[in-house]
Amino acid sequence: MNPLDKPYAQLALALLTVLVLPLFLKSGILATEILIFAMVVAACNLLLGYTGLLSFGQGIFFGIGTYVAGICLTRWSVPVPLVLAGAAVLGAATATLVGWLSIRRQGVYFVMLTLAFSQLFYFVAYTFSGVTGGDNGLLGVPRPSVGGTALNSPWSYYTFVAVCFVAVFALLVMVTQSTFGRTLLAIRENEGRAAAIGFPTKLFKLEAFAISGAVTAFGGALHAMLIGVAPLSNIEYHTSELILIMTIIGGSSSLFGSVLGAGFYLLLADALSTVWPRWLLLLGLVLVTVALFLQRGLWGLVERGYDLVFRRERAPETPAEEH
Amino acid sequence: MTDIALQTRGLGVKYGNFHALAEVDLQIRRNSVHSIIGPNGAGKTTLFHALTGRVRASSGRIELDGRDITDTSDDDRVRLGIARSFQVTSLFPNLALRENLRLAAQGRTPWQALAPWRRAEANAEALAIADEVIERLALAPVSNRLAGELSHGQQRRLEVGMAMAARPRVILLDEPTSGMGIDDIEAMKQLIRDLGRDHTVLFIEHNMGIVMNISDMVTVMRLGRKLVEGPPAQVRDDPEVQRAYLGNMITGDIA
Repeated sequence: MNPLDKPYAQLALALLTVLVLPLFLKSGILATEILIFAMVVAACNLLLGYTGLLSFGQGIFFGIGTYVAGICLTRWSVPVPLVLAGAAVLGAATATLVGWLSIRRQGVYFVMLTLAFSQLFYFVAYTFSGVTGGDNGLLGVPRPSVGGTALNSPWSYYTFVAVCFVAVFALLVMVTQSTFGRTLLAIRENEGRAAAIGFPTKLFKLEAFAISGAVTAFGGALHAMLIGVAPLSNIEYHTSELILIMTIIGGSSSLFGSVLGAGFYLLLADALSTVWPRWLLLLGLVLVTVALFLQRGLWGLVERGYDLVFRRERAPETPAEEH
Repeated sequence: MTDIALQTRGLGVKYGNFHALAEVDLQIRRNSVHSIIGPNGAGKTTLFHALTGRVRASSGRIELDGRDITDTSDDDRVRLGIARSFQVTSLFPNLALRENLRLAAQGRTPWQALAPWRRAEANAEALAIADEVIERLALAPVSNRLAGELSHGQQRRLEVGMAMAARPRVILLDEPTSGMGIDDIEAMKQLIRDLGRDHTVLFIEHNMGIVMNISDMVTVMRLGRKLVEGPPAQVRDDPEVQRAYLGNMITGDIA
């Protein structure tokens, strides 16, 4: 195993990311968005990389977190910790329901079911505009405040999200290292055998869904507070797709790969969109390149770089962890 | 406790309109080595699938220690004490050999594994069982290799080890020697005979040398039905069995 895949290395890389982003980025908003998507993508990776489930439903949970924050903060001014906890619980509950129905089928049919649910929830949100604000979304979602001062400046909210990110990432590392996480790997490898040696595999998949849904909704709530809106687009199918693309670009064999994936996508989108309005086309090319030449994603590249630098006793430069 | 570990009555399995298994009555004595033989397509593996719960019985009933388990799910049956190996090697190829066995040992207490905060190493018993099985199968030198990188013989041994790690009362082995070299076959024969001391062993085998040597009881199947049953010597000389096998397959001597 590559030393970078060890749990403490993963955690250290996550901490490093949190500390390094402010040094390189001018925009606190962009840096915060990267961290939010990093945890959401890592949660998607728990399903794709660890359990072997390609879920198109991640946008549902993200959107639900967004609406929980939007509704609770604009209408009832619920305390933020409660909002975040509520988002996670509702995210987990929804993911359990979606998962419970979807894992009855395997392969393509499973994917199609999650896709169908994603459309379903979008139209529910669109239709019940009294609750969700429909096309306009919910405007005026306030930032949280700590010690009486609202975190209105981008970098103060970044700090808040950074703490959440590190905590969530540590939690996900713990999950993947646990006997539960290792059973998920077994289910991904050979579900029939996992069942034959006594594991109720559906229950394990369901729990993976619940954890993934909780983290994704948590991230959705943070996102609503970041941009001050709970938009309909957060529950759109497009968000599911975005999260999946980031997961695949980053590489599904390690949790930190997801952080790379989210960072790479958002930074590239930010850079390209100022250069050319049709930047999505270029992004398509990037995705094709990853699919053809980098099947282990950016993380695979990092691992190879690390091997080059350290295993062949070359000058001990910093490992190639930049995008 | 009765003397019968596993018993079926009128067991049948249908795949669509095809009767893969019909009217099978089996009685497997505790701590015996009971083998199932028969030509290809006789329903031997289907019988195993039905016994382990991988496929549902469409008729009849299955009892483990007198308890009806016909409607019990496959993972529940592991907890009740049935474990199996597969005819086609079915491992976790990208996990280490030791991890394969640890998982198999953990499979008896799967609810523990649902706790996402519990470390895998916290289950010392599972680790101890994994190491014990590694020792018994003489796989220690390769215990940290990925299962997919092992040689065929090693994979076949691990396949049997996966069933052993569940510490079952009844162990079902589906062609444990398939594709093995001569030396490996001899070791497997010893192992199966050994297993018969602390487990009830039910195994499917084409190698008549092994079957006739180490079985306490032999059941011959053909076309989804039980043809003959008895001690090895009696089965070997049965004219019906000779005919089913076209007379030329049962050549193994009784040691």
